[in-house]
Amino acid sequence: MNDPQLATREVLWNISHVWIMYALLLPTLGVAAYGFYRRIKLWRRGLSENRFDCPLERIAMVLKHAVLQLRNWRKLYPGTMHAMIFWGFIVLTIATTVVMIDYDFGIPIMRGQFYLYFQSLFVDIFGALAIVGIAMAGFRRWIVRPKQLVYTTEASVILLAIFVILVSGFLVEGWRIAATADPWGAWSPFGNLVARASETQMSVESMKTAHWFGWWTHLLLVFAFIAWAPYTKLAHVLTSTLNIYTARLAPIGATLRKIDFEKSEKLGINSLAGYTWKDLLDFDACTECGRCTAVCPANRVGKILSPRDIILDLQKLMHDPLADPTQSYIGVTPALSVEAMWECTTCGACVEACPVSIEQMPKIVDTRRFLVMEDAEFPETMQQALTSLETRGHPLRGTAFSRVDWAQGLKIATMAEAKSADVLLWIGCGGALVERNQKVVRSLAQLLEKASVNFAILGREEKCTGDPARRIGNEFLFETLAQENIATLDRYKVKTVVTSCPHCFNTFRNEYPQFGGQYEVFHHSEYLAKLVAEGKLSADLPNDKKITFHDPCYLGRHNNVYDAPRELVQISSSQAPIEMEQSRGNGFCCGGGGGMSFIDEPPNQRVNQERARQVLETDAEIVAVGCPFCMTMMEDGINARKGDRDVKVMDIAELLWQAVEQAPTTQS
Amino acid sequence: MADVVCCLFARGGFDRAAQGILGAGRRLADSLGGKLHAVAIGPADDAVAQGAAAVADNVLVVDHALLAEYHPEIYLDALASACKPLAAKAVLLSNDAYGQELAARLAHRLGGSAAGDAVDISAAGDQLRVTRGVYGGKATAVIALNRSPGVVWVRARALEPAAATGKPAGKIQKLSLDLKDSARVKVVSRHVEAKEGARLEEARLIVSGGRGLGGPEPFKELQALASAMGAQMAASRAACDAGWVPPSWQVGQTGKKVAPELYMAIAISGASQHIMGIADSKVICAINRDPDAPIFKHCRFGLVEDYQKVVGPLREKLGHSK
Amino acid sequence: MNIIVCIKQILDPEIPARDFRVDSAKREAERGGANLVTNIFCENALETAIQFRDAHGGKITALAVGPDGAEDVLRKALALKADDAVLVVNEADSNPDPLFVAQALAASIRKIGPFDVVLVGREAGDWGAGQTGGLLAEELGVPCISFAESLEPGAAGTLQVKRQTDTGWELLEATAPLVATITNHEKNVPRIPKTRDVMQSYRKPLTKWTLAELSLDPAKAHAYSEVAELFIPRKETQCEFMAGDTLEEKIDAFARRVTEVMRAM
Repeated sequence: MNDPQLATREVLWNISHVWIMYALLLPTLGVAAYGFYRRIKLWRRGLSENRFDCPLERIAMVLKHAVLQLRNWRKLYPGTMHAMIFWGFIVLTIATTVVMIDYDFGIPIMRGQFYLYFQSLFVDIFGALAIVGIAMAGFRRWIVRPKQLVYTTEASVILLAIFVILVSGFLVEGWRIAATADPWGAWSPFGNLVARASETQMSVESMKTAHWFGWWTHLLLVFAFIAWAPYTKLAHVLTSTLNIYTARLAPIGATLRKIDFEKSEKLGINSLAGYTWKDLLDFDACTECGRCTAVCPANRVGKILSPRDIILDLQKLMHDPLADPTQSYIGVTPALSVEAMWECTTCGACVEACPVSIEQMPKIVDTRRFLVMEDAEFPETMQQALTSLETRGHPLRGTAFSRVDWAQGLKIATMAEAKSADVLLWIGCGGALVERNQKVVRSLAQLLEKASVNFAILGREEKCTGDPARRIGNEFLFETLAQENIATLDRYKVKTVVTSCPHCFNTFRNEYPQFGGQYEVFHHSEYLAKLVAEGKLSADLPNDKKITFHDPCYLGRHNNVYDAPRELVQISSSQAPIEMEQSRGNGFCCGGGGGMSFIDEPPNQRVNQERARQVLETDAEIVAVGCPFCMTMMEDGINARKGDRDVKVMDIAELLWQAVEQAPTTQS
Repeated sequence: MADVVCCLFARGGFDRAAQGILGAGRRLADSLGGKLHAVAIGPADDAVAQGAAAVADNVLVVDHALLAEYHPEIYLDALASACKPLAAKAVLLSNDAYGQELAARLAHRLGGSAAGDAVDISAAGDQLRVTRGVYGGKATAVIALNRSPGVVWVRARALEPAAATGKPAGKIQKLSLDLKDSARVKVVSRHVEAKEGARLEEARLIVSGGRGLGGPEPFKELQALASAMGAQMAASRAACDAGWVPPSWQVGQTGKKVAPELYMAIAISGASQHIMGIADSKVICAINRDPDAPIFKHCRFGLVEDYQKVVGPLREKLGHSK
Repeated sequence: MNIIVCIKQILDPEIPARDFRVDSAKREAERGGANLVTNIFCENALETAIQFRDAHGGKITALAVGPDGAEDVLRKALALKADDAVLVVNEADSNPDPLFVAQALAASIRKIGPFDVVLVGREAGDWGAGQTGGLLAEELGVPCISFAESLEPGAAGTLQVKRQTDTGWELLEATAPLVATITNHEKNVPRIPKTRDVMQSYRKPLTKWTLAELSLDPAKAHAYSEVAELFIPRKETQCEFMAGDTLEEKIDAFARRVTEVMRAM
């Protein structure tokens, strides 16, 4: 009887002139290595940037996103197919390594139970799964043809090549099993299938010949593949891994860079020469999956902005030996056009969606910086907003209000009067100067009063945080405003800031520290949730409406705050809250960020109307928001789309205030 | 002396502006206890002379070959020469472009002081006082003119013509002036927009569009509405700045001053500078999708709605009800 | 071509009406929290000058009369690449009459040197007298073309000036020197300065003259005219907003009100 302990197979059976294989290995690896070397050389042309701090955190990111590929699984079909291909390849590579260790190094590991369970069964299954994965990928690419993919010959050739490699592997295995009457053949179920099927059609001699041809074909294909891969998007095997290792550790809201105005030769970026090595690596890490463009709200409503194509076009440019990296890339392709640059709401969906940690959105802002500060050419309504920001300290030209009108009737002290306070309540331009939002700020102030919070406001001393300036690209104006505001806050020795707007929140928390402004910063949802948890506020009068929460991009995606506002929604209504399909990390932008609320969008390409449609698809009676931009955009959007159904837009502060308003005073 | 001079540009005929300025001049002269002189510059026109004589005590007709067409330097020379000997207390000009541009220079030539866009003119002792809007219409100032004569331009087309008193007609005299051609400024060409109907300042119904229209095309819809109503078209400064409509449509602090029975503001926010141009309207109404728009503070009635949803149906309804 | 552009610094004309207050005793607007800005028509004038110089060559001098802080508007002009900037410092009077201003401008222009054209905004957004250009022309003894929207070189060294009238426009050909007052037009919308130019504008030279240096007596600041009274008129209308369950009903209500007014005519 055959002893399982001795189970193995003859390596390189039926193969002669094996030296050819070893001889070919060298140029193969050489060509492959050169492929990577070329890329590394291109990255090294970039400016410096430190992305090698916190190695433990970075290794954790690699494990999560390069090995487990958690982000891939957000979409079940592509996640599954890629995992099958990926793990199939990992296993097959391990199997080949095992052969090498046993055959070339003479360590007899490819034996016995290990040979049967792992090298035969496990490997066969994973090889088959890889084929299934390729088939799924082929089906998606050639039959379903989703818009987000990039349709190149290269991509099709890659799929076919892998398919042929895998299938040839099984054929070769099957013919060997049959021709050698391998007693352990059944342990390789799929190779065995080939063997049993071939036996009925072919003689042993023909199977040997077929095996020989198949083996060499397989080898040559594999070697060609290895040599070629680094020159294709398959380079992502290494580039994406490196990109994930060097990815940003800070939240999305903290990723815009400061400019050194004294030393910079150029303000903003309009050519490859302006990017750091990490940006250039970003271009090479792209796998052409298209998720960024698929989730881009501007793209969804039919605009030309496509984060995927920005990255891929810059990648092509980077690799083009005839292209001058100091020449402007603006307008050389439709994706890199000026028009596209002004369609971005900076929502960060692209950055969040990217499975390999590419940062698309900051590059759009970098390009805007050039257009605004070097060229001084940008949409007129944005110009007016920034001019107003410069002369009036707020971007809302034409407002009929001053910064303190909202507080009429409420006895709220200013910092100038109070001299100091535990908390600075930062109102923001939207909250103070847009009539609808004044009600939100009033609710918030009244809640803080009710909870006996010792707070004050800046009143007329408050200036815009500068967020619109930074997003539109006038970093100089932003820095000016930042320094003024920080000076004001430091004069009053402010330690804690509560904002009513996520843009103010993000700027205070993530951006003012770049200029020396360090404060403990809360968004009002966080602070109110804190007060509720401490028992200082009690929602004793919830309404009975179905509420859905629309995540503000600058609170959610940019800062990972998703739960606090939901807690408030939860207690404000007796009905269970509704979660929209696009919520939390893949929430859909209201369309107001990035300076876009100052743009007149074409009537059939309005991001807010698309989001309104999503709201109206649920049976929510109220959509809760946490941001003055969202408030305006959602009200406009719903008004445009609502037809007969009326959905109210309310801020979580308003909802909580309504639920608290007639409650007996809670003990603090 | 307490006399008043009204400057008429005869080229326009005895139009609403001429009637209005004579009416204002008569009332001012009466209140000052002085005489009213009318100086008509330009090609001799009997209607102008007779019409002026019916109101003024004295009419000077200044006709000269060089005055056939308006020319700023030559007309200024003529006016200065004609007005100087009259030693008046007040000289009135209409608020058309020509009156506005000549007033201050005429004052300088006569050694007096000018003021413009007068809502009211009065005397305080020796001084002439002019009431006018300032700070973009947010405030009202009374300007004291410290030199004589006071040269003032007024919204002539919105002023009441003189009441018929049956007084004897004033004397009409021809004034010969030795005018020189301008060596330094020549009028090369002139373009008058083909415009149906009355001038904006005289229009009784006006439909006006603003920045919210977003482009020149929507103005065609408004034009259709205006036609259905028998109204004139106008626009806010923002629309004119963007080149959507000709500058002559502009109503506001630096545009036309209108005084219609009804001014319909469509997608106009209502900045105070615009209000300055329409403050004399009897009724202001507006269509604007922003309930906060300042225009509503000046309206008798309004509709908070996207104009695109309103203008078409409104035109239907108003077209039928005429 | 020597172009001089006169620039005035004024209180922000877009202060919300409810924030706008006047000091009736001092007869001027209260500064409050409002910012000081460049008068828009002066910006149009500067834009016209820049376009002319960039296309046809020349030199632009920005000139202002005002308190020391008016330097800000001249820095903005320098950021837009005006070649020189001159400030006539007048701390004595916040609202000198138009003739005094014209005399101050004329005196500085004579001191600056020969010029081809002086561009002035048609009026200022604060007092809106609209006289400075005309009076300046008289003081300098040169022609004045008002409500100009564009400037082009004409035949034999002349200037072609297109200016607006009530019914359209006129094209005038003028021989330098002259004064032109500028009005707003789609072609002279003020541009945004480049950030680097803004940063460098503070390092550029700026000349300051006192009234005394120009032989001007501040006691004469109101020989021509003065503000006797200043107040905010009370005028509030209550707007009736059309109501209705449907859009059609609201439009109906609106149409009815319009028809009422038309019938009463």
